[in-house]
Amino acid sequence: MESFLVRYRNLLVLLSILLAQIIGLATQVHRTGEGRNTLDAGDLPSVRLIRLWANALVSPPEQMIHSTKMGAGWLWQNYIDLRNVRQQNGDLQKTIDRLRLEQAALLEDARQGERLQGLLKFQEKYIYKTVAAQAIGSSGSEQSRVVYIDKGSADGLARDMAVITPEGIVGKVRDVFPHTAQVLAIDDQTSGAGVILETTRIRGILRGNANGQPQIVDILADKRIQKGESVLTAGGDDIFPRGLAVGVVDQVVPDPDRDGFINITVTPAAHLDRLDEVLIITSTEPRFSEQQQQDIATSETEKKQEAAALAEQRKASEIMAERLPGLIDPNLPHDEQPLYDSSNPIQVARPPQALHPDRFTPGAVAAAAGAFSGDDSSVEKQKTTPEADSAPGADSATPPPAKPQPRPASPVKPAGTAAESKPNRSTGVESQPPAPPQDQPRRNP
Amino acid sequence: MALLGAGARRDMEIRRYPILAYALVPLAALVLQAWLPRVAGRYAWFDLPLVVTVYFALGRRSPIQGTLMGAAMGLFEDALTHHAIGVNGIAKTAVGFLAASVGIRIDVENHTIRLLLSFLLSLLSSVIVVFVSHFLLGLDLEWNWYTMLYTAIVNAVIALFLFPLLDRLQVRE
Repeated sequence: MESFLVRYRNLLVLLSILLAQIIGLATQVHRTGEGRNTLDAGDLPSVRLIRLWANALVSPPEQMIHSTKMGAGWLWQNYIDLRNVRQQNGDLQKTIDRLRLEQAALLEDARQGERLQGLLKFQEKYIYKTVAAQAIGSSGSEQSRVVYIDKGSADGLARDMAVITPEGIVGKVRDVFPHTAQVLAIDDQTSGAGVILETTRIRGILRGNANGQPQIVDILADKRIQKGESVLTAGGDDIFPRGLAVGVVDQVVPDPDRDGFINITVTPAAHLDRLDEVLIITSTEPRFSEQQQQDIATSETEKKQEAAALAEQRKASEIMAERLPGLIDPNLPHDEQPLYDSSNPIQVARPPQALHPDRFTPGAVAAAAGAFSGDDSSVEKQKTTPEADSAPGADSATPPPAKPQPRPASPVKPAGTAAESKPNRSTGVESQPPAPPQDQPRRNP
Repeated sequence: MALLGAGARRDMEIRRYPILAYALVPLAALVLQAWLPRVAGRYAWFDLPLVVTVYFALGRRSPIQGTLMGAAMGLFEDALTHHAIGVNGIAKTAVGFLAASVGIRIDVENHTIRLLLSFLLSLLSSVIVVFVSHFLLGLDLEWNWYTMLYTAIVNAVIALFLFPLLDRLQVRE
């Protein structure tokens, strides 16, 4: 017996280790009601312990490498590559001011939307609280597309939280350790996200394929689906809020297993292969974050300040207008306004006299009698006016340019003569007012 | 290929390494395997823990040590994924055992043999992973044969350059 153990000890050790691992595997897999084998959603305590050990062993060096890389990058960006920063800073500050105002307006719309949703008893999930994290490592396996991030349960992370970048969704938190977390990317074969095609509004489930590309599966063939169509989150999976960018349709291929179904390969919007910074959505409650509330307050303060500044300017201009000599006196008639006073240094500009007047010269054409249609009395008066009677026709000799005429002192005119006192727009000739009384002061126009 | 008696070669050429090398080299392989795919992107077709397992198994020429090392490396790799723990463990256990068993009988200093062994053992590891996942556990797992082939090729090339570097760590008597 002893010689048997000695002789075959290598083989026995191998078999015992293999057997132990096979038994360990058997405890991690269970059969579903559909007769398929699947892994447990949550790890067993012993399995979790092994993962914790592995994570504790590998994460610190990974974080060290990542910190070194980030430090070198920071040194470069903050000390070496600082050209044109002042100009960019100024431009960005202007942009921030503008965006802050725009954001305030948009947030007002969002507030209104929330109120309306409350009225409709419909709750939409908004992203209001996120935690930024750095991707520090991966599983290192082609078959397991997970990413490790440097934030964990100590930072408020929990299972099944959505992980996104500004470009698009990345995946969901699968396992949480004290200071790190494991993120299952959307291109993994075991991942799943509810998505919707933006244009055709076709819904499906997104998961990874063997080549590490996310694809939408279980979709009935539809010719409307075109390459380049945007894919968004549908919001029905209780993980990803609705409307986040997922990617664009890359390829539509028939499902090899089922007739009439297609698989849509998606080019992810987020750079899943080279993740650096990600955001974990820790809260999707429909409320405004403190930062947004601060922004609203800041924007409102700025608006009030702008309004106050405008009011101040208006008030100052009114005071200035009161102190300066007025060019228009509301108590005087139009023709006797100080504006037309010859002593006024500001003279009303008049067109220079033409050297060779013709029929296009201002004042050359007499008022047309027919121009006063709609007011028969005035037409009649026009016809009886001697000046109008003696006015030459369009082809007659050009009269001398109109000279300033004395104006009546009274601003009140008979209703029937109102049209006469106005310049005729069709001809540019001003009708002659009645001769003023001799005792009225005359003013130069 | 020079064939020797197993006992003679084992006694003659068992390589010894500092204790730190046994700890740090596998750890570095695990860390780099987890970190480098972030740099290489989707073209991370390599398996550094496997290469290190093969190296130490060939160098130590002890099937038990090769088996244990392969099991440890595989289990740690599994622990970093979200898959069941033991799939890579089984694959690398078998690889470690085979590498050590072969190392007893052939001259592993030859670069061609190292290249060929790394390629074949890498391919075997991938096949075992698929076999265990798909057939033994019955999990829905798709795989790509081309990726396996590329991984085996890249592993062989890495081994060609890494083995001479690791040879410098061994203790000369």
